[in-house]
Amino acid sequence: MTNVSKRTFLHGMGLGLGALVLPQRVWSQESPIKVGTSMALSGPLASGGRQSQLALQMWAEDVNARGGLLGRKVEIVAYDDQGSPSQSPGIFSKLVDLDKVDLLIAPYGTVPAAAIMPFAKERRLLMIGHIGYQINSKAKHDMWFNNSPWSDAESWVGGFFRLGKSAGVKKVAFLASDQEFAQNILAGAKSLAKSAGFESVYEQSYPPSTVDFSAMIRAIRAAAPDMVFVGSYPADSTAIIRAVNEIGVGPNVKLFGGAMVGLQYASIMQSLGSQLNGVVNYTTYVPEKTMAFPGIKDFLDRFAKRAPAANVETLGYYVAPFAYASAQILERAVTATKSLKHDVLADYLRKNEISTLVGPIRWGADGEWANPRVVMVQFRDIKDGDLEQFRQEGKQVILEPQQFKTGNLIPFQQARRK
Amino acid sequence: MKRGTIPFWVFAALLPAAAYGLPILGMNEYYFYISYIVLQYVVLATAWNILGGYAGYVNFGTGAFFGAGAYAALVVMLLFEAPLVVQIAVAALVGALMGLGAGLLTLRLKGIFFSIATIAVAIIIETFVLNWRFVGGATGVQIIRGPVTYGFETHTRMLFFVMSVLAVASLVIARYIETSWLGRGLQALRDAEVAAECSGVPTLRLKLIACAVSGALMAAAGAPLPLYSSFVEPHSVFSLNYSVMALSMAVIGGMARWWGPALGAVLIASSQQFAAFASPEFHLLIVGLLLIFVVIAAPGGLVGVIQWVGNWRVSRKEINRSASVVK
Repeated sequence: MTNVSKRTFLHGMGLGLGALVLPQRVWSQESPIKVGTSMALSGPLASGGRQSQLALQMWAEDVNARGGLLGRKVEIVAYDDQGSPSQSPGIFSKLVDLDKVDLLIAPYGTVPAAAIMPFAKERRLLMIGHIGYQINSKAKHDMWFNNSPWSDAESWVGGFFRLGKSAGVKKVAFLASDQEFAQNILAGAKSLAKSAGFESVYEQSYPPSTVDFSAMIRAIRAAAPDMVFVGSYPADSTAIIRAVNEIGVGPNVKLFGGAMVGLQYASIMQSLGSQLNGVVNYTTYVPEKTMAFPGIKDFLDRFAKRAPAANVETLGYYVAPFAYASAQILERAVTATKSLKHDVLADYLRKNEISTLVGPIRWGADGEWANPRVVMVQFRDIKDGDLEQFRQEGKQVILEPQQFKTGNLIPFQQARRK
Repeated sequence: MKRGTIPFWVFAALLPAAAYGLPILGMNEYYFYISYIVLQYVVLATAWNILGGYAGYVNFGTGAFFGAGAYAALVVMLLFEAPLVVQIAVAALVGALMGLGAGLLTLRLKGIFFSIATIAVAIIIETFVLNWRFVGGATGVQIIRGPVTYGFETHTRMLFFVMSVLAVASLVIARYIETSWLGRGLQALRDAEVAAECSGVPTLRLKLIACAVSGALMAAAGAPLPLYSSFVEPHSVFSLNYSVMALSMAVIGGMARWWGPALGAVLIASSQQFAAFASPEFHLLIVGLLLIFVVIAAPGGLVGVIQWVGNWRVSRKEINRSASVVK
């Protein structure tokens, strides 16, 4: 062992301390890069909003641990829009005009995001969408890039009707909430059913405040369809599944579900338990081997550990990875272009495929995914009250699209008897 | 000329002038955004007070009138591409007609029963809009705004100016009603409707006028909303929050004078805009607690407190003067 003089030791100490302080000093010289957004942190959409907030915070921590973006620290500026379109325009004005954020992610959900599109278009702002449907169809903003794996209604529920056709369906029943998303999806679903040659034997739109679906389920049963398409929101989805469990929808039904929002949330999945068996519904991600995108398992494991402290669900499959992905989209564009100018970043995103936690994304001219990949899953062998079972493969079997398929359709009534 | 008349008209002229001139000073765009909301509540609270404060008929249907105004403006915008001035005029007309309808309710319903009926009116109108596909039904309508008109640089600045004009108009109307035969008649029927009727006060006519004016102002306040928010959907537009806030602002500000609701609106709506970014629900809790406190401790609201302080200072001066005379 060599002798170390007092002078050398002090030099070493100085250099060591300097190295520790150096990253901090670099960040403090330049202001942080602010990423602004709004989400429902209270109100009926708060579950997804809080998941998004945690995922974005995790992204910021990950980026900062890697040395920041363009050598600058990253900071998330997020406000509670309560999921309301009356809040989001004011919040985005504050983010842009007062907080002077550098980059923007659209509000979580369709309705609050739709309200800010004219503002984004007028100001020429790059906007990364976050779980919204056809938000840009009217505004036609050329700097909109959605993080959600769908484009039009066909991309969303096309798989459901393809499954119906292959199962020999002839008669279809429609049940949908009278709200933005459900009505848009219903219009697309009816068009798909028509082109598939299905006969519509029942169609009902119900007010969003409906709590009792027994009369509708009885009417569906009386109409004796082969498949039932449902476009519903979380509270309705739960009530509909419970009503089906109590009353039944008839022996002919081979497919039930389609576009039921809420059946992707851990709390609802846990509460419905075995009543979900046989239901075929859309989702964005399930832990099947065909969806093992690079980095997603690590993210979900870390998310599950931090979720209890943030008071959010521990699964986080439906929303959280996509929130993280929206920030990754910005990160990739900024890193590649070394710019924060919105038109430069938008130009880059138009021309390049971006690798994210939820798979590679390339956008079409409308800012929606060029290759949508909404998956239709069938709930199988679900037991009551066990949340952890949803982490296993085989509980949400992917039936569509083909590149992610992990199983074949079991007719609804048969799957429920198992 | 009555005391305070000149300052009032100077203020009435200065507010829109300032709203027009502020952009020249380079004020941040965001402040126009939130100031619009504050002024919108000035109109709503003042309009609410015309019926609720002067006549004593508590209206929980503010959201219905406001929403009807927004949708009336939307309809003429979609059908005829009507300019904003026409949208506001049509909305005010719709609001006035609805107000007349609500006024006729007062023939049969009084007190809490009238208030419940106004909630029912709000639900009926919201249900009607929910099922009206032309205006987007439950899904709502996204509005792609055209070029900014009237020489303003942005829509927000233009709408802020328009709302300042509406705020001044509502204050002028409220002040006129308060100080004229209308106000005296309304106060008489508020204190004892039967006695007022027996004394020759035309109570039904006065109530109809109050309902129509109040409704027209509330609907006019809703008319610029489609352009302001770029998205109109029934759940947020017909929200009960508008009714609760308008009532709270009038009660906290003070219902006895025309400037009480405006004062309440400025205080509560401003704090709402700043506190909302911390926690909107917490702000609602604070407003609720403040409302309870004011009802118990200061039934006259801030107007009552200010008048009490004024009277106390005058009486102190008189006591001091008497004491010096005695000496």
